[in-house]
Amino acid sequence: MPHYTELNIGPVHPSIHGIFNFKLILNEEIIQDVKVTLGFLHRNAEKLSELNLYADNIIFFDRMNYIDAMNMELCYLMSVEKITGIEPPERAQWIRMIMVELNRLAARLVGMGSLGLDLGMLTPFFHAFKEREKIQRIFTEASGGRQEVNYFSIGGVYQDFTEKIINDIRNFIDQFKKNLEDMYNMFIHSEIFWQRNQGIGIIEPELAFDYGVTGPAIRASGIPYDVRKDAPYLFYDKVNFDIPISHQKDNFGRFMIKVEEMRQSIRIIEQSLDKINDGPFFNPQGKKSLMLRIKGNGEAFSRVESDAGEFGVYVKGDNTTKPYRVHARSPGLRNLSLLPVISKGLMIADFIAVVGGLDPVVGEVDR
Amino acid sequence: MNLLFKLHQWFSFLGNYASYGIAYLIETIVVLAFVAISFIILIYVFRKYMARIQLRIGPNRVGKFGLLQLIADALKLMGKESILPKGRDDMAYKIAPIITMMSIMVSFIIIPYGGLYYFGNLTTTHSDITLILIFGILSIMPIGEVLGGISTRSNYAILGTLRGIAKDVSFEVPMLISVLAIVMVSSRSFVTGGSTYNSLSLAGIVTNEIIPYGIIEPLGLIVFFISMIARASYSPFDLSESDSELISGSTTEYGGMRFGLFYIGLFGMVYLGSFLVSLLYLGGYNGPVSSYFGFIFLLIKVIILVLIAFLIWLSLPRMRIDRFVQFGWKYLLPLAVINLIYAGFFVLYIR
Repeated sequence: MPHYTELNIGPVHPSIHGIFNFKLILNEEIIQDVKVTLGFLHRNAEKLSELNLYADNIIFFDRMNYIDAMNMELCYLMSVEKITGIEPPERAQWIRMIMVELNRLAARLVGMGSLGLDLGMLTPFFHAFKEREKIQRIFTEASGGRQEVNYFSIGGVYQDFTEKIINDIRNFIDQFKKNLEDMYNMFIHSEIFWQRNQGIGIIEPELAFDYGVTGPAIRASGIPYDVRKDAPYLFYDKVNFDIPISHQKDNFGRFMIKVEEMRQSIRIIEQSLDKINDGPFFNPQGKKSLMLRIKGNGEAFSRVESDAGEFGVYVKGDNTTKPYRVHARSPGLRNLSLLPVISKGLMIADFIAVVGGLDPVVGEVDR
Repeated sequence: MNLLFKLHQWFSFLGNYASYGIAYLIETIVVLAFVAISFIILIYVFRKYMARIQLRIGPNRVGKFGLLQLIADALKLMGKESILPKGRDDMAYKIAPIITMMSIMVSFIIIPYGGLYYFGNLTTTHSDITLILIFGILSIMPIGEVLGGISTRSNYAILGTLRGIAKDVSFEVPMLISVLAIVMVSSRSFVTGGSTYNSLSLAGIVTNEIIPYGIIEPLGLIVFFISMIARASYSPFDLSESDSELISGSTTEYGGMRFGLFYIGLFGMVYLGSFLVSLLYLGGYNGPVSSYFGFIFLLIKVIILVLIAFLIWLSLPRMRIDRFVQFGWKYLLPLAVINLIYAGFFVLYIR
């Protein structure tokens, strides 16, 4: 007769990325079953969006995936711009693209550092956060906000890029290339890191399709699915970058994908900085004095490739100043719902590493 | 002329036995005071060192350069309300941190510290079997962790304790075998070639250790150093703590100064482990010049070893428990046995 132990991981636990609860049914160290409880951070963002003006809703999306705020804003605004018919000018699109990729770098850095923390490796976390701090300085320069930036506005961006910001980004990219490789080596040159990550949390491609897994998780299963390539938004079709895939299917593959995507993000930013043109940075139809009177009609769904995967926003307008319905498709929820399937037979230590590798951000999972 | 006899002479008016007793007591207090002060400096150095590695500043608010930070922390821990878990085994819960702390403290009295210019030999315990004694006391230390873990009836603590026991079993056998190889090598004198009678005492081993045994038996040095990391249970072998999985492992339910005692036990073990490695494998208080300042040589070796240990602590992720058990039985144990056989050949043929 095996003896089972119940172990609660969360809601408050040192290695939980946010607030959720896992009840592990353990046979000694081996996990027999996982029960996931979500909803501790449910903030009614979708319903609140129906009660507020189009322009006011951006802050709710900032707080969804709070480490990847630019992507969340962008996705909402893409939907809103479709139903209001306010197209952002070309310069605004380039600015958005640079900011989104910078934020992707920041989010990946958090994921990388906290994976190390989950494995009991303190040092890379601080190195990653030092780099992230530099990105946040750039955000502060541009928007005034560090994490919840609220930078994009309907039909453009809140403030134009000055020469100083562009120089800051160039300097950051120049020194970041070396620091990224240093951080990467800190992980990869450790035999224990390989041991801890290889062969755990295996996601087969069929399983990934069944559960709607996206992002680095599905690319680590060998499927080159990336919204930036498959349904290009902004000017992703005008820059060169590659979609890395891995056939390892495990946590290690996911880590490698994330690092490689950071290198690709650097390429995108460099090309965008070269291609950015002069011109207006917002559409006059969406200027501040008109913002409260923007009306939307019809429905629209748009999707972006966020940190955790494919993030989508559905907005329906009924020709008033407030949306009739807003819904967000959260990639983190799909990735998390896979956990009970892929974590059977793992040890506790592996389970923590798998959760860290999937990068769930509960603000976006619970909304 | 060592410190004990000097003190004995000063107190000789009390009679032979009483003066010995008082001399022994005073020397013990002096040694423990030295250990405590150097220990505070050690933790300060650790925190600064850790901060520099992690691109932080470290303690710099309490006192000049944050030197009094540890004292402030200790006062804070003492002032904390001690929260007792409900379903605990009371006696075991309260005695566990004391066992861990005491076994570390007693171990420091046994270590031979070498000579220092005026004071003579600082060694407190003059016994022929200190090697056996110190490993006997070190094997008491896990009892504290085990009692602390299982007495609280917390799932986290019990899982942490199970990991801790599995870890202890898998590294202690190779550790003791590598120590046995030391005893074999040191049982024949380098100078005369004949057998030495005190090869079971740390002081005897170090006196005989004109060439550091780490050069003669590098395998043994590696095995013993890894075992000492595992004994002190810091990363990559902090399995009984596993802070990202089991919150704080076997010490989850401890708060206040009781937790502080476990913490002292951990850092004390890093320090003690460095002493043992430098005594057994790196020549101890023997230095390149006369052993008038043997104590200083010992301290330099210990500080270098402690810094290496901290570097390992801060740069490696934690091993998984099954991997560690495999590592212990499949790599460390064969290495230790090979080292033992090699030591036998060395004693019989090469010397």
